[in-house]
Amino acid sequence: MKTIADFARQFDAKLMLRRDLVVKKNNRYFLVDEKLKPFVSNNFYFAGTYLGKVKKNKFFPSFELLRMIAEKGKANKITINDRTEWLFICGRDVFGKSIVKVEGSAKKGAHTLVMNRYSDCLGFGKILREPSREVAGVAVKNVSDIGDFLRRERKNS
Amino acid sequence: MSGKEFFLHRYEKLGWKPSDIKLKQAIRINPTNAPNLEETVERLQSRGIKLEKISFLEKGYWVSKAKLSAGATTEYLLGMYSIQEAAAQIPVSLFTDLEGKVVLDACAAPGGKTVQLADLMHNSGVIIALDVEKSKLIALANHLERCHVKNTVVYQMDARHVAELGIKFGRILLDVPCSGNFAADSSWFARRSLKDIEANAALQREILAKAAVSLRDDGEIVYATCSLEPEENEMNVDWAVRNLRLQVEEIECYGEKGLTEIFGQKLHRSVENCRRIWPGQTQGFFVCKFRKRDEP
Repeated sequence: MKTIADFARQFDAKLMLRRDLVVKKNNRYFLVDEKLKPFVSNNFYFAGTYLGKVKKNKFFPSFELLRMIAEKGKANKITINDRTEWLFICGRDVFGKSIVKVEGSAKKGAHTLVMNRYSDCLGFGKILREPSREVAGVAVKNVSDIGDFLRRERKNS
Repeated sequence: MSGKEFFLHRYEKLGWKPSDIKLKQAIRINPTNAPNLEETVERLQSRGIKLEKISFLEKGYWVSKAKLSAGATTEYLLGMYSIQEAAAQIPVSLFTDLEGKVVLDACAAPGGKTVQLADLMHNSGVIIALDVEKSKLIALANHLERCHVKNTVVYQMDARHVAELGIKFGRILLDVPCSGNFAADSSWFARRSLKDIEANAALQREILAKAAVSLRDDGEIVYATCSLEPEENEMNVDWAVRNLRLQVEEIECYGEKGLTEIFGQKLHRSVENCRRIWPGQTQGFFVCKFRKRDEP
């Protein structure tokens, strides 16, 4: 629980999850609701909303968790242009000139969600320098993007 | 007994001759993640994916032209649609009143139908999704995450052991493991024999029997295969009607009536309520809806 709250805090967002509804399976966290919980027994594989996993003491969020953070109005976000959208999904970093909107903190070292023009969350990154159109070079380093689903499909096939 | 000639001769005896099989790629828009169908279609068209509504499906579209793979768009990765064979979109649509129910998806991976169930349930109620193989569960979990499914618990379990969960289900989807068909698999004739088909049919009957025990009274089972072989389809339905507390319900969907006479053997007349889809634009498919009868 603390792991997830700490992760959300990196985006300057507060995420309050009911402790009794977060279930853990090995290193993976899931959020269930009251109706689902009685159906979750010890040997489950997946349940409700996948929140993320801890590996070598590092938390790796799910894209659903990022979406939940994005829905919190105050989270750090950048919106990128259409041209950059697919590049980001392919794992590329975001250049300053590709950013069309910045919300929340733009402090170096902070985390920011990366959105497209439809306000869909595409992933997140780490701010390397003030993200704005005027800044030359990489402004946000890609940490995780939804292209991961494709990479997982390839790995699993 | 195997080989192309053997099987084609069987299909002919069942009243079908293969001609003009051109499988078309299909998608299903997930209204939970893409509530505005028209907007989603336009969004995809702006990417170079031209869609055409499938007349017999509510949320299904043919991919009529694509500048890029339909499985590599932002919208796909956001779970706004799934790539799902047109005939495979039919079984889930046959259930009534899914919302709030406890539903079993007994052979769930890779999860296309699980996502469709969650969609029709508006993420309410509970889906218990089972599959045996770990690698398939990984694909299933990825599918659920991508499509923002929230009402599902997945277990690594053989569907024949479902009673161990101690749950009574209101709806059960049995998209059972089957022999497949040649339209979707170019090496099918070389790989399959009547012996395989009989073995699969026996496994399917075991799954049906166990599922029927875990079904609530008046509950529904939708049974589906992508096999063309009557042993896995009409003959299994006939067996279920005669041996389990199940009756075949009438359904309205794409496809031909189930066959009630197979190679000279007369089946229960209610078997005609099933639907058999011979390959054409879609792959071959068979679907049947059962309801659990009251205790005698």
